[in-house]
Amino acid sequence: MEIGKVLAISDINVRVYLEVENKVKIGDILRIEYKDKQLRLEVVEIENLVATTIPFYSVIGLKKGLPVYLEDKGIEIEYSRQALGRVFNSYGELLDNQAFTTIRKRNVYHDNLSLSSIEVNSDIMWTGIKVIDFFSPIAKGFKMGLLGGAGVGKTVLIKELIHNVYQSLSSNAVFVGIGERSREGKELYDEMKQSHLLDKISMVFGQMGENPVARSKTVYSGLTIAEYLRDEEHQDVLLFIDNIYRFVQAQSEISTELNRIPVENGYPTTMISDVSKVEERINSCENGSITSFQAIYIPADDYTDEAVQTIISHMDGQITLDRKVAENGLYPAVNVFRSTSKLIDPEKIGKRHYQLVEEVLRYLSRYQELEEIIAVLGIDELSNEDKNIFYRSRKLRNYFTQPMFVAENYTNIPGKFVAIEDVLTDVENILQGTYDSIDEDKFLFIGKYE
Amino acid sequence: MADKSDELTKIVNDKMSQIENNNNRFGVGKITNMKEFIVEVVGLDDVFFYEKINLANKALGYVTKIETNRVFVAILHKDEELTIGDLAYQTNEEYMGEFSEDALGRMINIFGIDQLIGKKFQNQEKVRIEEEPIPIMDRTAVKRPLQTGITGIDLIYPIGRGQRQLIIGDKKTGKSQICLDTIVNQRGKNVICIYCAIGKTKKEVKEIYYDLLKKNAMSYTIIVTAFNDEMPPVLVLTPYYALSVAEKYMKKGYDVLVVLDDLKRHADAYREISLISGKSPGRDAYPSDIFYLHSRLLEKGCQYKNGASITILPVVETKGGDITDYISTNIISITDGQIVLSSKNFQKGEKPAIDYGLSVSRLGGSVQTQDMKKLGASVRRKLLSYLETREIYELANIDEMSKELQEKIFEGKKILDQLIQPKYSPCSENEIIQKFAFLEDKKNG
Repeated sequence: MEIGKVLAISDINVRVYLEVENKVKIGDILRIEYKDKQLRLEVVEIENLVATTIPFYSVIGLKKGLPVYLEDKGIEIEYSRQALGRVFNSYGELLDNQAFTTIRKRNVYHDNLSLSSIEVNSDIMWTGIKVIDFFSPIAKGFKMGLLGGAGVGKTVLIKELIHNVYQSLSSNAVFVGIGERSREGKELYDEMKQSHLLDKISMVFGQMGENPVARSKTVYSGLTIAEYLRDEEHQDVLLFIDNIYRFVQAQSEISTELNRIPVENGYPTTMISDVSKVEERINSCENGSITSFQAIYIPADDYTDEAVQTIISHMDGQITLDRKVAENGLYPAVNVFRSTSKLIDPEKIGKRHYQLVEEVLRYLSRYQELEEIIAVLGIDELSNEDKNIFYRSRKLRNYFTQPMFVAENYTNIPGKFVAIEDVLTDVENILQGTYDSIDEDKFLFIGKYE
Repeated sequence: MADKSDELTKIVNDKMSQIENNNNRFGVGKITNMKEFIVEVVGLDDVFFYEKINLANKALGYVTKIETNRVFVAILHKDEELTIGDLAYQTNEEYMGEFSEDALGRMINIFGIDQLIGKKFQNQEKVRIEEEPIPIMDRTAVKRPLQTGITGIDLIYPIGRGQRQLIIGDKKTGKSQICLDTIVNQRGKNVICIYCAIGKTKKEVKEIYYDLLKKNAMSYTIIVTAFNDEMPPVLVLTPYYALSVAEKYMKKGYDVLVVLDDLKRHADAYREISLISGKSPGRDAYPSDIFYLHSRLLEKGCQYKNGASITILPVVETKGGDITDYISTNIISITDGQIVLSSKNFQKGEKPAIDYGLSVSRLGGSVQTQDMKKLGASVRRKLLSYLETREIYELANIDEMSKELQEKIFEGKKILDQLIQPKYSPCSENEIIQKFAFLEDKKNG
């Protein structure tokens, strides 16, 4: 139905003069046909007879005065088993060019769970990655943040988690690619296909070449599929989001175009509520659980960035990757001082594990101080106790590196899955000095010590 | 009565001649406001977004914003100064760049002008400034190597065809030199090279042209230029244009290498436009879509389903060796790796001045041959371990070290020596493997 005409146009902001009153709501989808194209737009603001909309695709060629139609449905995505093994874009459209018959679709905006329906679960899930299992173990239903600046290995870690957790569990998974590289998205798809794991995973992509509107909708579409698996299939769902920061980034691009007043660093005023709305949907209920791994990009290596801090406040645990560690060739480049989880509690992981974590952190923080002393005085000037801490810490540091299955291409070493019991024993032995006579390089890129 | 009909005829004739004078277009508006390179035009009611606009035959621009009773036009090229009241003519066509295949071996700009002689090329064709994003499913894995001829890159942080590898470092650390070395090394390898100079001085670009000419590299190279003193919108659009040209060649089945030199200048030109058009500034006063500016540009780099590829080497200049500033980290988070150049290494004569600790290739061994991959992984591990050890034990007495440590330091030094390489002296794969034969000998002996 025709409801108005185009009034004004800029990059990602099209204003529409409404000729029909009281028909258009915020969130409605409008359509414009021009040349041989169809452009869809979402209504984000209405002021009297003027609706402000954000276009799904480029507006090149759009003219003032063109008729605008109201679509009868909002953004929808497949809400059935059919979604598994398939690849969608942010607007719920298929990308994999294969035959498809829809069974049921649902709007991607959905209410959050109420307090009464949320389940708090705590079965531990081991990932086989030493540094994660030791410092920030993960439980079912957790939200894990994987933080890191540009190029320190977030995506590799997410892929290793998919490899270790998704492949060993029988549950279904959803991968949401927001504002990341298309190349990586396609590679993940190919890898899943080759290892015959594609039929249990759904993928939704709104990558970095797409406009901000597409990038801001990806997470809603992906969540809808995860909710289907949780609520209708009663599954424990794994949700991988790479990268949730890009959602906030896309929102701020849109907000700027709408001439809204920004807060610090250009972020939108609505950032905290936008993030809350999304994060509150990622929860477990009596039907099933959603365990999510969310990569969080740190812009300009600034850990105190508003958006980063806003997202972290929703996480149950976090693993922080650090450029300084990566610079020394230690991968995964985890900064152990900034990696923890709610499970680090003697009642949850047991006294032995807990005490070992405390002791290792004590050693490593002393090691940092010693590094500075050595830079001035040299190693020979240290006391015997400090010398022990220094050499054992270097072994610990090396021990927490690990060859990864998905990184065999870079390292040329096959990946290793390490049981937590082995990690605890090895760490105990290093701390007690059992391995004092062994060269520190022997601990680099190994599984358990043999 | 006769008077009236005369008057009518006069009005019709006036209107007719006006239309004729206005290039036979009906849509004519008037400039009402000017701010640097953005003009406001009233009366152009029928224009579309991105339409090319002729400003009083004095300047050329395109529509960047349409409002209820006015449109904004960004000026790309100006022959004469404009004044308020000047006419703006509609053209009914999308603004596109102009290109000619004769530009191979020459220097061209977005207007299709052969910069060396200052005239338009024959056989012009229109090129859209920006094509639609390349669909995710039309991409395939990046696997084939693009040999740069530089040992430290080909062996340790290799570049594959279809990869985006950032070259980053301070002024005078050899960033452009790495790109030029790479272009020169593509001779006879069936690669079309596009060197896109963004905001460089005319002198700099001319030197690059003569360098490439001397090395017989111009026969497969196009230099695309947007000089320092051009309009900021030209500086912003030129790399997109270069990538559109690359896409054209890729779709015909060619492997293309594009150098974008440099994107920091590009970001600054975009910031200039954004702030002048009144967009609210974000971090470091860049607008919030600064990431998207580069992400959609660099996403054009890919291994395409038809077997051809676009490899992009974007260059970014840093200050004080800080690669963690806003623009650098944005681009690092887009590219498939980075070659970091350090002025310290450069001064010490360790050229190319690659900082092996901070450089990364996300594709690593998957773009190398089996032999290079095996050697590369082991050299990298040894080198990084040596560099770290060297720092820690800087003050320690080498004679009192364990034998293992002494050997490690000796071997590390030797590896570092093998990586030093003068400009324009490429090494083939076999030569590189030969250089590191001593590692194997030691193992066997």
